[in-house]
Amino acid sequence: MKKGVLHAFIMLCMCVSPFALAAQTLHVTGKVTAATDGRPLPGVTVTIQGTGTAVSTDNSGYYTIEIPQAGATLVFQQLGMMAQHIEVRTSGAINVSLEEDLSTLEEVVVIGYGTQKKSVVTGAITSVKSSDIENQVVGRLETALQGRTSGVTITSNSGAPGSPASILVRGVTTINNNTPLYVVDGVVVDAGGIDYLNASDIESIEVLKDAASAAIYGTRAATGVILVTTKKGHVGDMRINYNGYYGTQAPAKKLDLLNATEYATIRNEASLNDGGGIIYPNPESLGEGTDWQSTVFENNAPIQNHELSISGGSDRSTFYTSFGYFGQDGVVTPEISNYNRYNIRLNSDHKVKKWLRFGQNLGYSYIKSQGALATNSEFGGPLSSAINLDPLTPAVITDPDVANQPPYSTQPVVRDANGNPYGISTNVAQEMTNPLAYVDTRLGNYGFSHNIVGNVFGEIEPIEGLRIRSTLGAKLAWWGSESFSGIYYLSAVQNRSTTEFYRAREQGFNWNIENTISYSRTIEGHNFTVLLGQGAYLNNLSSGTFITFNNIAATNFEEATFNLKVPREDIIADARDGITHNLSSLFGRITYDYKERYLFTGIIRRDGSSKFGANKKYGIFPSASVGWVLTNEDFWTPNNILNNLKIRASYGVVGNDNTADFRFVPTIGMGNDRNYFFGIDNMYIGASPNAPANPSLAWEETSQLDIGFDASLFRDWTLSFDWYQKETSGILRTVTIPGYTGLADPWYNLADLEAKGFEVELGYRKAIGDFNLAVNGNISRTTNTVNYLGSDVAFTEDGAGSIQNLANNAQRTTIGQPYNSFYGYKILGVFQNQAEIDNYTGPEGNPIQPNAVPGDFKWADLDGNGSISTDDRTFLGTAIPTLTYGMTINASYKDFDLMIFGQGSAGNKIFQGLRRLDITNANWHSKILNRWVGEGSTNERPRATLSDPNQNYSKASEYFLEDGAYLRIKTLQLGYTLPVTWVSKIGINKIRAYVSSNNLLTFTKYTGYDPEVGGGSDTWGIDAGVYPQARSFLFGLNLTL
Amino acid sequence: MKRNTTYLTLSMIAAVLIGLGSCSDAFLDPDPKGTLMEETYYSNPDEALAGLVSVYDPIGWQTAVSYLNFGAVNSASDDHVAGGGGPNDMETWQRWSNYTLNESQGPQQDYWNRNFTGVSRANIFIQKLEAGIPGLSEAVTARYLAEAKFLRGYFYFDLVRLFRNIPFYLEPLTTDNMREQVQVDPTVVYAQIEQDLKDALAVLPPTVPAATEGGRATKGMAQALLGKVYLYQKKWTDAARELAVVNGTPGGTSEYGYRLLENFEDVFRPDNKFHAESILEIVCSQGGARTWDHWGQFYGNVATTMFGPRGYSGPYYYSGWSFCPITQELYDLLHYDPRFKATVADLDSLEKNGIAQYEKGYMNTGWFIQKYAPLVEFAATSGVRELNYPQDYIEIRLADTYLMEAEALIEDGQGGGPGTRAYQLLNAVRGRVGLNPIEATLDNIFLERRKELATEGHRWYDLVRSGRAATALASRGFVAGKHEVLPIPYAELLNTQLVQHDAYK
Repeated sequence: MKKGVLHAFIMLCMCVSPFALAAQTLHVTGKVTAATDGRPLPGVTVTIQGTGTAVSTDNSGYYTIEIPQAGATLVFQQLGMMAQHIEVRTSGAINVSLEEDLSTLEEVVVIGYGTQKKSVVTGAITSVKSSDIENQVVGRLETALQGRTSGVTITSNSGAPGSPASILVRGVTTINNNTPLYVVDGVVVDAGGIDYLNASDIESIEVLKDAASAAIYGTRAATGVILVTTKKGHVGDMRINYNGYYGTQAPAKKLDLLNATEYATIRNEASLNDGGGIIYPNPESLGEGTDWQSTVFENNAPIQNHELSISGGSDRSTFYTSFGYFGQDGVVTPEISNYNRYNIRLNSDHKVKKWLRFGQNLGYSYIKSQGALATNSEFGGPLSSAINLDPLTPAVITDPDVANQPPYSTQPVVRDANGNPYGISTNVAQEMTNPLAYVDTRLGNYGFSHNIVGNVFGEIEPIEGLRIRSTLGAKLAWWGSESFSGIYYLSAVQNRSTTEFYRAREQGFNWNIENTISYSRTIEGHNFTVLLGQGAYLNNLSSGTFITFNNIAATNFEEATFNLKVPREDIIADARDGITHNLSSLFGRITYDYKERYLFTGIIRRDGSSKFGANKKYGIFPSASVGWVLTNEDFWTPNNILNNLKIRASYGVVGNDNTADFRFVPTIGMGNDRNYFFGIDNMYIGASPNAPANPSLAWEETSQLDIGFDASLFRDWTLSFDWYQKETSGILRTVTIPGYTGLADPWYNLADLEAKGFEVELGYRKAIGDFNLAVNGNISRTTNTVNYLGSDVAFTEDGAGSIQNLANNAQRTTIGQPYNSFYGYKILGVFQNQAEIDNYTGPEGNPIQPNAVPGDFKWADLDGNGSISTDDRTFLGTAIPTLTYGMTINASYKDFDLMIFGQGSAGNKIFQGLRRLDITNANWHSKILNRWVGEGSTNERPRATLSDPNQNYSKASEYFLEDGAYLRIKTLQLGYTLPVTWVSKIGINKIRAYVSSNNLLTFTKYTGYDPEVGGGSDTWGIDAGVYPQARSFLFGLNLTL
Repeated sequence: MKRNTTYLTLSMIAAVLIGLGSCSDAFLDPDPKGTLMEETYYSNPDEALAGLVSVYDPIGWQTAVSYLNFGAVNSASDDHVAGGGGPNDMETWQRWSNYTLNESQGPQQDYWNRNFTGVSRANIFIQKLEAGIPGLSEAVTARYLAEAKFLRGYFYFDLVRLFRNIPFYLEPLTTDNMREQVQVDPTVVYAQIEQDLKDALAVLPPTVPAATEGGRATKGMAQALLGKVYLYQKKWTDAARELAVVNGTPGGTSEYGYRLLENFEDVFRPDNKFHAESILEIVCSQGGARTWDHWGQFYGNVATTMFGPRGYSGPYYYSGWSFCPITQELYDLLHYDPRFKATVADLDSLEKNGIAQYEKGYMNTGWFIQKYAPLVEFAATSGVRELNYPQDYIEIRLADTYLMEAEALIEDGQGGGPGTRAYQLLNAVRGRVGLNPIEATLDNIFLERRKELATEGHRWYDLVRSGRAATALASRGFVAGKHEVLPIPYAELLNTQLVQHDAYK
């Protein structure tokens, strides 16, 4: 090894210094081609054996190499090709043609506790490889999957840096948390902490979609399993890689809100309609007013990612080491919205003895972020304020007459650099505040996390084919936050008269130990592998401490420190301890094929969970899958139409124990909402039962049937298809019990839900001369139906989304409908005149809306009882997309490459709830300019009114719903690779430079910032002001030494 | 070499065994770390006390609606409008104030939850006490039982007077029978309330040490509430009898030590807790140092913040959210009354005299509640100021029981002329603030109640129970035969046997 480094160093010196060339140096050039069709092979590694010296062939297959002395051996290697060794005696041309290596050409798929050749996989597994995601903006792992994996619906929750996205594998599986299980190099990582990974370190991501594949993860697999494998070193030369980009971002869209004149006009009109007078006598004189969005948006927010990795190895040891940095400023108030992540990774694998392997994967990350603004919330924050504040209030008060008036003259208002106070609205209050002032009060506040995730493993192979492996994995994390609240006056409602400095420190530890024995053997065409395993998992060994100093002598975050002491009574401390979630498992798998014609996989897993009582502690999850490769049959005649066809079917049962601890025993709650004071300031802690217990609480069970095929057609095409139907029964949910019980809602295995759909993946690859084209597309359709919610329970509004002051929830979960669908009133139009109101009568001839006036909505009387009541509501659409699709086009011509990646979804509605209903004077979206203003003006939008007796604007109705379909050009990238013949002269293997744009174009009819409105389990599809996605332009560089 | 192999194999086996060891059931029963199991709880006197505290707790609930049982109901009376920041601010109050409430919109769910939580916790606690709690003496068990029954009576009374037809149960509900509950006739509920209060009255201590136990149930509390319960049922003789014990000789000190304070203002001073005039006092404290994160779990008097003038700058007060401004009618009644200054925060006057400025909220009148105002002098020094005002809310005080007894006596036909007890009771209240005696008629008593007890949460109930509501609140949209009760909360009708009042269907 040491010698190799020395050699490499000498070679490097030679390269840069022509004088160092020794006389006996041999000069070799040549062309490498494929033996099958003679096509030139670019990127073939040409190594001088026994040294670290290597070059790559260029796009035309040519290479040039200097050999220090005669007798050295050149090794020609490329993945999928058989290596060739050629001894060199003299300078000159050595042309080589490489044979395909059928044994390594086979794509390998990670399946959990092992890998499998793709050709014999019988489950529904989608892979994303490093090449699919490198050089792209992938802030978090899940965004890498969007549009690239069929059957996986990913909807971003927010464009804020570091924000997670909502992810559904094959649609809605449960009414609870639908987040899949993340397993990184065999360690289960909680979904919240998955952002510790740097996308550049990822070798592959596999999504186990059907029950038969996921069953190996038993009880936690029902919502799908995402297996992440990080990069390893490869046998061969040592490589230094740099990948990085730097770019600038701007909001992809700005809302069309009313300006001051329009705002005043609408206010006047509404006031007249409501029986009042003109408020603003001369709206025209008010002009444009304040564009609050411009005060929060940053049109030049930097984003950058840099990763440096060193990898390599010998046939005994391989290693991969990397350092990464990702930094992103938000496009909304970047002063308090940004994200920085630093990663270190150390993976290595050692073949200690012929029969013994040992290795480790270890990742560390530090994340520091500022995210003080609520995203997708109507309750304040700069974005919500920018949407709702009236355009009449100036952003900064420059008029001294106003500045010398209260509240500016009497309150601790926030001022700009010139000492001018930031304007405070007199029209819009509640949580809405001047964003410029708001930002000033939050400067410095941040959150952080440290994550160490890794595993060590040892594997012995005492006899060929028998492997005994033991893996110990762990995740250790620290996270916390610090924030300062000063004395400020943002408005009469939002103000503080005391200071406060807060610190939170939490830590968590999870570990797992897994032992497996596997045996593989081939007997006369019968290939089989048996795996037996055992695992133990402990999650959430955690704790937290939280401390607040009140009345600290500081005026801003920078000054605040806990060294500024405050009296004892000003110190508030709190702490918590986590209760661990323990899991103990036994599992087995058998995979079998006969000459790769007939395929079978059977899995069984038994899990015990601490979340359930003695009655239901253990769950058993079996699965089986079969496949038939028609084209491997003896009777099959190879042809150029159907090159390969595999038909697959699988069925299995998996579980979900996603419920809180100790739900199966009656517990006592203590503290906050049970305490009382006796006498003067004597707090007594109270205790009372929580909820009626359910000792029979058990796993949610999801069974799934999957039928599909994989085919290669016309040599250049690949096609995969899957149809699935999955049913989840016994979904854990709280039963809403009557309020008169005075108890919290208990948990039951109650609801049943089914999801079904299909997925198609189509690929095309063609090389014509120097032109290469690869196109991959996928399309998925998924729908879900709630089948059961408990005896006599027709629907539930638990978890139903809504916005402040909407008269009814915007969503409802009902039997026979998709989970949390939009629910509300149907609109028949707008009453154009009194006659229409009088003529809109019920069965007994009575007017249905006697109190309506022209310009009000005509609500559909769906129950036909002659009046409008909550019984007239109905289903208005689903909140979750039913169709998702994506397409990647990769094209290259000589040294140029182009990539276009687009994705989209359709079939869902979005509730456009950007305006706060309880803030009557809030600004409006320009949609209101198309309001009803008189007979015949419109049948779509009601009159302007603030008192709104007909509840045009406050009933949950079709009025708020918009089509959520979109198509987005997610990435457009153009790259240029410098010719190898040039760069090799300076000792570099590869330099590629590119320009790229993210979120360049979005095609949608939706009027909010962004049609991607994910959210927690509750708020999917409810847009209360989603943080807009950034559109970015990047310049990037890939460098390989 | 051979040896290394052995070690390695051994360590591998060891690792496997560690893993297998974790298969044991013990691994699947992790340390509950302070999670308390009902099965083993209520096993010592400390746990019994914690159980009792939880039954008291709901009387101090404020958010999201009731605000210590007087915020929301003030807005429904003719003494206040809802106010606040706009027509939709605290929609639950606005709807009660302008009588646009319906089964799904209005203040009902929170009133319902507050009181039924109390009922449920009382039922559970009574069951535990009756089963016996180890180490708890007989005397303490009896006292806790009496307190729990007093509280159950209090909660059921609030429910029956607000909702009239309520489900009624005395044993903890189980998952099997909880949906089978039906509404009962109010007389059934009233009978149990009377029984509970009588049981409590027999056992409760006549007084408690104010500094350490102030706010806990006493004989006087139970008896005053019992009298009130009789009064609401128009059982005049019974009401007068019970209230007479609480009141004692008008103007004197009763057997429980109650007497009218000399200075009317002193009744509401936050630093004058558990005084001689206070009977049922709901305890507030800044001791919890609450912040916004504790939403729904406040211990200070947040109603104080609700009532305070909005965007205020000036002396005396901190800003509040301008709810429940005082109507012109009440202002006119009180303007030349000696109780005016202690009752009305006259922001209109402060501003006109250049002393203070404030933001005019929705339906602003310029007059705010003074008895529970956010006073600078007593503002919290820990936690978020708005959430930690330490004023206790006095739900029943002696002037109230004086006037209730006077009313019962008149209704009972005992006359109100000079020399009668009703006359003495009414004029003791008037005399305290220097007003001349007047004849005790029903109208005079109700007028006195309105002025004496203004802003304290009694007016709406007085209007409703005396049949005056339909007239007094006609302009607000009050419909006779409907708005005397709140609708059964919409959510309670789902998957239960409950039925809505006809008027709200």
